[in-house]
Amino acid sequence: MGAPSEGRLIRAESVEAALAASASGARFLAGGTWLMRAPVRGERLSGCFVTLSGIEGMARVEAGPDRVEIGAGVTHEALAAALSGLSGLGALRAAARGAANPGVRRLATIGGNLCAVDFAASDLAPALIALGAEAACETADGPLRLPVEEFLARRAALLPGALLRSVSVPLGPARSAHARLPLRKAGDYPVAILSLAAVIEGGAVKAARVGVGSVEPVARRWPGLEAALAGAPLDPDSAAEAARARLGDFAPRDGVEAEGWYRIEVLPALVRRAAAALLAGDAG
Amino acid sequence: MTVTLRINGDLRSFATDPMRPLLDLLREDCLLTGAKSVCREGFCGACTVHLDGAPVPSCLVPVGLVGDREVTTIEGLGLAGEASDPLQQAFIAEDVVQCGMCFPGMVMSLGPFIAAHPGASAEEIRQAMTGNLCRCTGYERIVEAALTALGAPR
Repeated sequence: MGAPSEGRLIRAESVEAALAASASGARFLAGGTWLMRAPVRGERLSGCFVTLSGIEGMARVEAGPDRVEIGAGVTHEALAAALSGLSGLGALRAAARGAANPGVRRLATIGGNLCAVDFAASDLAPALIALGAEAACETADGPLRLPVEEFLARRAALLPGALLRSVSVPLGPARSAHARLPLRKAGDYPVAILSLAAVIEGGAVKAARVGVGSVEPVARRWPGLEAALAGAPLDPDSAAEAARARLGDFAPRDGVEAEGWYRIEVLPALVRRAAAALLAGDAG
Repeated sequence: MTVTLRINGDLRSFATDPMRPLLDLLREDCLLTGAKSVCREGFCGACTVHLDGAPVPSCLVPVGLVGDREVTTIEGLGLAGEASDPLQQAFIAEDVVQCGMCFPGMVMSLGPFIAAHPGASAEEIRQAMTGNLCRCTGYERIVEAALTALGAPR
């Protein structure tokens, strides 16, 4: 440590400069909370990096009448603060407010969170999936906009040629809630995370979207449960039963915090909690 | 690469790797050893310092990303031997410190929190401490001392 290293960290002032640095082999650096733990994972923090914080608008949250645009450099802490008062985004606010611990939330960004290909336990990912958010990327061939779940599934191939510039979250009639299970409250990675968004009309679920994180290597929707919830009143116990009947939908991952069977075993309880929070109205 | 940082009020330049953890620069180059190197992955909080007053785990901050933000370590809060604020005074008065490993981080995390939340409850203080682990498990006394610093009823 300590050796001078010219060119190891490049500060990009524009998307074009960042993409050019990436094309020459530099890795994108956001808040650093994933990359800086490389030695703990037995990886070397080698090569060159390009920091994106100098790009205009990267740390901005803009709420319009129909959508909220979140710059990729917005930290979890800033995101939680920016979302207070916006209805329907309870799942995302809870995810931003509950991930990791306060110090990490001040550093870790939404862009870094979604672009850490090997990080399965992102809280923001299932929340954004449930809310129908889109990832807005810049590439050498022009802008690329795709649903967050598709971005997550394709990101290993897309990155590093694509720069995640912002995340766009639609505002609508749905309410949403977020439930997570860390084995200890103090900063553990959750063994399973579930976000639920539902439009409720006339006492019944008109449409539901469910995002599940940390169970499989990549967060994704749970279409079987979404279909089961639609058309009936939202009842936490019934929703948990519907979830239990569909646990075979997942191919769970084993990890140091929990084995795969446990990750799916707790999903019905998370569905019950998310449904109860959504109905209680404390989820936004 | 030359990295220039403002640390505890002093502007200093270092020829170093910009991806080096701020924690290592503080401890090895500046001999500011109050921030402890423990988990090195942002879980334990023992390395907490302030960037422009905001507590962050210095093990996860590359020195090249600090920029013009002011770095404050536990040594920067007051002169050695002086408890400079109500929180530190409460920690001493209530004999809260056990092995001491986590305490610089506890002070760095809780200080700004109680300053910003003068009406904080015990539960809110616990939530603010989720990134600071005490291996001696002395949490309740820490919470009680924080409440004392706030002048809150027990």
